[in-house]
Amino acid sequence: MPEYSYVGKEVPRLDAVEKVTGAALYTADLKFQGLLYARLLKSPYAHAKIVRIDTSKAERLPGVHAVLTGEEIPYRFGIYMSDKYMLAYKKTRYVGEPVVAVAAESEELAEEAAELIEVEYEELPAVFDPREALKEGAPLVHEGLDEYLHAPFIFPKAGTNIANHFKLRKGDVEKGFKEADVIVENEFTQPMVQNVQMEPHVSIGQWHPNGRIDVWTSAQSPFAVRYLLSVGLGVPLHRITVRVPFLGGGFGGKAGLHWEPLVVLLSRKAGGRPVKLLMTREEEFNTAAVRQGMYARIKTGVKRDGRITAEEILYIWDSGAYADYAVNIARAAGYSCTGPYDVPNVKCDSLTVYTNHPYGTAYRGFGHVEFHWATERQMDLVAREIGMDPLEFRLKNAALPGKVTPTGEVLADDCGRVDQCLKAVAEELGWGKPREKRTENGKLQGIGIAALWKAPAMPSYTSSSAIVKLNEDGTVLLSLGLTEMGQGTETAFAQMVAQELKIPLEKVNVVRERNTDTAPYSWQTVASRGTFMDGNAVLRAVDDLKRKIKETASDLLGYPPESIAIADGYAFVAREPDKRVSLAQIATCGVLPDGRGVRGPLLGYGYYTAEGLTFLDPETGQGRPALMWTFGAQGAEVEVDPETGDLRILKVATALDLGKALNPLLVKGQIYGGVVQGLGTTVMEEFIFDEKGRLLNNNLTDYKIFRTQDIPDKFVPILIENPQRNAPYGARGIGEHPTIGIAAAVANAIYDATGVDFFDLPITRERLWKGLKGVKK
Amino acid sequence: MIPKFDYHAPTTIDEAVELLNTLEDARVFAGGTDLFVLMRDRLVRPKNLIDLKQISELQQISFDERNGLRIGAAVTFAEILRSEVVKDRFRVLWDAASVLADPVLRNRATIGGNICNASPAADSAPALLVLDAVVEVAGERPREIPIGEFFTGVKRTALKPGEFVRAVRIPTPPPGSKGRYYKWGRTRGEDLAIVGVAIQVNGEKDVRVALSSVYKTPIRIGAVEKIFKEGGPVEEKIKRAVEAVRSNISPITDVRGSKEYRVHMAGVLTERGLRELLEVK
Amino acid sequence: MSKHRISLKVNGRLHELEVEANKTLLRLLREDLGLTGTKCACERGDCGLCTVWLDGKPVKSCLVLAVEADGHEITTIEGLARDGKLTPVQQKFVEHGAVQCGFCTPGMIMVAEAFLRENPNPTEEEVKEALGGVLCRCTGYRQIIDAVLDAAKEMRKAST
Repeated sequence: MPEYSYVGKEVPRLDAVEKVTGAALYTADLKFQGLLYARLLKSPYAHAKIVRIDTSKAERLPGVHAVLTGEEIPYRFGIYMSDKYMLAYKKTRYVGEPVVAVAAESEELAEEAAELIEVEYEELPAVFDPREALKEGAPLVHEGLDEYLHAPFIFPKAGTNIANHFKLRKGDVEKGFKEADVIVENEFTQPMVQNVQMEPHVSIGQWHPNGRIDVWTSAQSPFAVRYLLSVGLGVPLHRITVRVPFLGGGFGGKAGLHWEPLVVLLSRKAGGRPVKLLMTREEEFNTAAVRQGMYARIKTGVKRDGRITAEEILYIWDSGAYADYAVNIARAAGYSCTGPYDVPNVKCDSLTVYTNHPYGTAYRGFGHVEFHWATERQMDLVAREIGMDPLEFRLKNAALPGKVTPTGEVLADDCGRVDQCLKAVAEELGWGKPREKRTENGKLQGIGIAALWKAPAMPSYTSSSAIVKLNEDGTVLLSLGLTEMGQGTETAFAQMVAQELKIPLEKVNVVRERNTDTAPYSWQTVASRGTFMDGNAVLRAVDDLKRKIKETASDLLGYPPESIAIADGYAFVAREPDKRVSLAQIATCGVLPDGRGVRGPLLGYGYYTAEGLTFLDPETGQGRPALMWTFGAQGAEVEVDPETGDLRILKVATALDLGKALNPLLVKGQIYGGVVQGLGTTVMEEFIFDEKGRLLNNNLTDYKIFRTQDIPDKFVPILIENPQRNAPYGARGIGEHPTIGIAAAVANAIYDATGVDFFDLPITRERLWKGLKGVKK
Repeated sequence: MIPKFDYHAPTTIDEAVELLNTLEDARVFAGGTDLFVLMRDRLVRPKNLIDLKQISELQQISFDERNGLRIGAAVTFAEILRSEVVKDRFRVLWDAASVLADPVLRNRATIGGNICNASPAADSAPALLVLDAVVEVAGERPREIPIGEFFTGVKRTALKPGEFVRAVRIPTPPPGSKGRYYKWGRTRGEDLAIVGVAIQVNGEKDVRVALSSVYKTPIRIGAVEKIFKEGGPVEEKIKRAVEAVRSNISPITDVRGSKEYRVHMAGVLTERGLRELLEVK
Repeated sequence: MSKHRISLKVNGRLHELEVEANKTLLRLLREDLGLTGTKCACERGDCGLCTVWLDGKPVKSCLVLAVEADGHEITTIEGLARDGKLTPVQQKFVEHGAVQCGFCTPGMIMVAEAFLRENPNPTEEEVKEALGGVLCRCTGYRQIIDAVLDAAKEMRKAST
């Protein structure tokens, strides 16, 4: 009998052929009868009162079916805090915020109509720096903060610009600092950046005259879209159907809700015709959500022997005009605030602050890329202060099994091993071996290391489910609520199903479109939670299907279900394999020798709900926020041209304790891609605003992301497999992790090469040159 | 979207001249890679566009020793890169073509478009400046403009209404002369130049340097030529040339780079280029 | 605005259509001919996702007018695989995991295919340079470059 061993094998993606032939249909590729096209008129001011809007000329333009202003649709939306209108209501809060929306018979007409709309604004004082926004008397971005609905684990402060204040108190920091021999304090910053997923946001909405709502959208989380639409519009869930076709990347930028309510409301005004809004690349930068900026201040107390005694941490998040995910990012960064270390005394305040910038959302790493920039730079700086090797210093304080996290969680024995990751990366970099720092042509070389950890950032009570259906010919259909945006989970799950049912992988198909009417529920496709949570749901669904197969087979074969095994397309008596019945024969029902049918169509259902997580104490942050921790380490070897500031990345090594690599080919793809995104943050990506809050680099000419020539000379992925008992095959999520440690690893390597420290990202060629200026060569 | 306009595709120079002089608010284009972006951004909104690609003469590259190189305005940079004679005899221009935009865009972007767009960052311009190119202009009264007089400001040229570029002509550099173009961007991958430096060297006495992205127009630094014409040790001359470059430019600060960094890099690239071409360690 | 009757061959099939002057080739392919394999992600020549071949040469179709394609031959991603058989580049993209979200894949493949016809034995640096006009946010390019190098090997084997 064939082995059907798929888990752990380098299987190509299930959808690859559709994608390489151009056959894969994404949301913008879909065709609709009577489709209308939406365009937006956006605010030129960062903060302004809307005095008057005249849409009459636009409305008179033939072919225009709907013109909407904020006054007409005063519905508030938000995943954790209902603070956002679809169109600016009464006032605008950032440059690029939609003020008026138009739906017309062609994109050209809609653009023309938008140009005919007149808006009179009265500029208000704006605030751009979140530290300024915290000061008394700063302009308020949201006067009505106390009216907003919000999740129970979010703590806004009415009358201020604080959208969330997460507090963590572990041990006694005062005592900890007293015990310290040395105290080191530093500040770090990171600007806003954008996800730049290749497929821009696109949504098509139709509000039928009978009250039903259809949405097709480029969303990571169709069930979240449906739920938030329902709450915001007051329409019950059974009247809303959300469909997600192929997704062209997301990286968090398509999580939660985006412009789906707007197209639905435009459709309602246009009498029920479908309306499509496809964001331009410029709108992706100016109007859609971005990654919030961060300011960090870290004070570390340490003994001469290298033990950290206390840390006091302040994270301030520039959430921009709306809270969106930024409130939960502050929380996630807050409860993971130290990085993967055992620090006995911790005080952390992590604040989400409104400003008049574009609004912040999730971006691969969910705050961890940002705060690890601070913590992993700080580890090097502290080690240097006490004259200890940075690797040794990290190992000495590593969060190993049995140690206690900032929220008081004792790490389990199967939680994964950051020390093994660090050692593997160090070995790859030749750590501790003598090395020539200066090349023959005057360039400077160095190595740097960083450790990382991240748990899925989500409410304590999220769940996922999966359905496995046996078809009449013995093939299997897997139905998921989790979306596939490129990460490859679908393929990994199909491998699991094939292996568990002992059938060829070719006999497993995954339902392509996500449709909230028919797909099993999954909370969201975010947080690197899919492999673990939906993976467990898939395994349970397969178990359920197997149980039912055995029941039918038992009826037909006359043996108890426990004695029946399943393999190779048959259910058979384990000890007498010739007593068997094919899966095809029993898929719809079993047939007894006399022709009677027994049992029925076979379908397995499984769910998984996050286990053991709790709310965190509002004053101390103590509790259990993390379903699992994925630990890792990253190292960089760099070469600096001190004369030009050119940075060549010779090597990036990434070690992740992922428990089990379900598909190493896809895992490596996640690592390469994640490393390169992280490097973008490190060396080139940043929003540059003028003094009025206007974004100066809102396209891919001016805002650079990595191209082929920019990538490291060498990538070294290191997959460490300490399985986690409650995970599918032991596998933890790793989607975000390869982005997290890289910025600090590179900056630490730059210090090793040049003796110059960087505290602010990105380290562009120019900043690197400026930093090295005046340093003797 | 690109806003509305009327499209015309003349097949002769005369026809194109007539269209340009009779149509209201008309612009010529060849590759369109700059113009369509400007139109999409609503920075320009011409009523009429005249496509020069149907005029076969504008697509030709020709060379003979005596008359030099002649490149039709609608010749793409990909074609320039395919030309062996450009690579062998006009290397500074070949270099510029090889780093202009990216390989796919170079299949559409043309030399005429690059100079007429007149961006200070135009990569072909410094190369043409050090090669003493001449711009052949079509119009009711055809004329020639030395490349040194062609660029008059940011996105401005010496072309008058009703005129367009027909070809660029470049005299054959003396045997043994060498040239290179050095481009510096924010990244290793494709980017607009923070600084571009074209250098053409014909022995130690004839050294020309021109730059992009450091002045309101692409600029050739006459002072450098004077320095090399005079006597003195080459090491000294290189040092003075770098000083001359840095003091004769006045770059702006924008999202790509600061004035300070551009001035610095202009000097670095000049020095590195001069050392390479003069074979001085 | 002027309208123009054009005739062009797309993936070997002749089309005669009337187009408005400001319609780009990208929009013609996607909106009028239903060839949605060609993607749009910036519409200003930065990303390269809309790359198709014009008379065999890769061009960014967002910066080509439909009327400019009159009399020319266009090849899109849908025109590469014949009778369901993938080209070596397509096949290697599948095998090497060079595809994640797939949105850049058509543009990437159109550039790689054209490049390997001109340069059947490229170095890694040459591959990087050739693909420098197409953006990908998922893969970090590593597996794409490996796929192209491997496809080149495969094509050389097939041609000897």
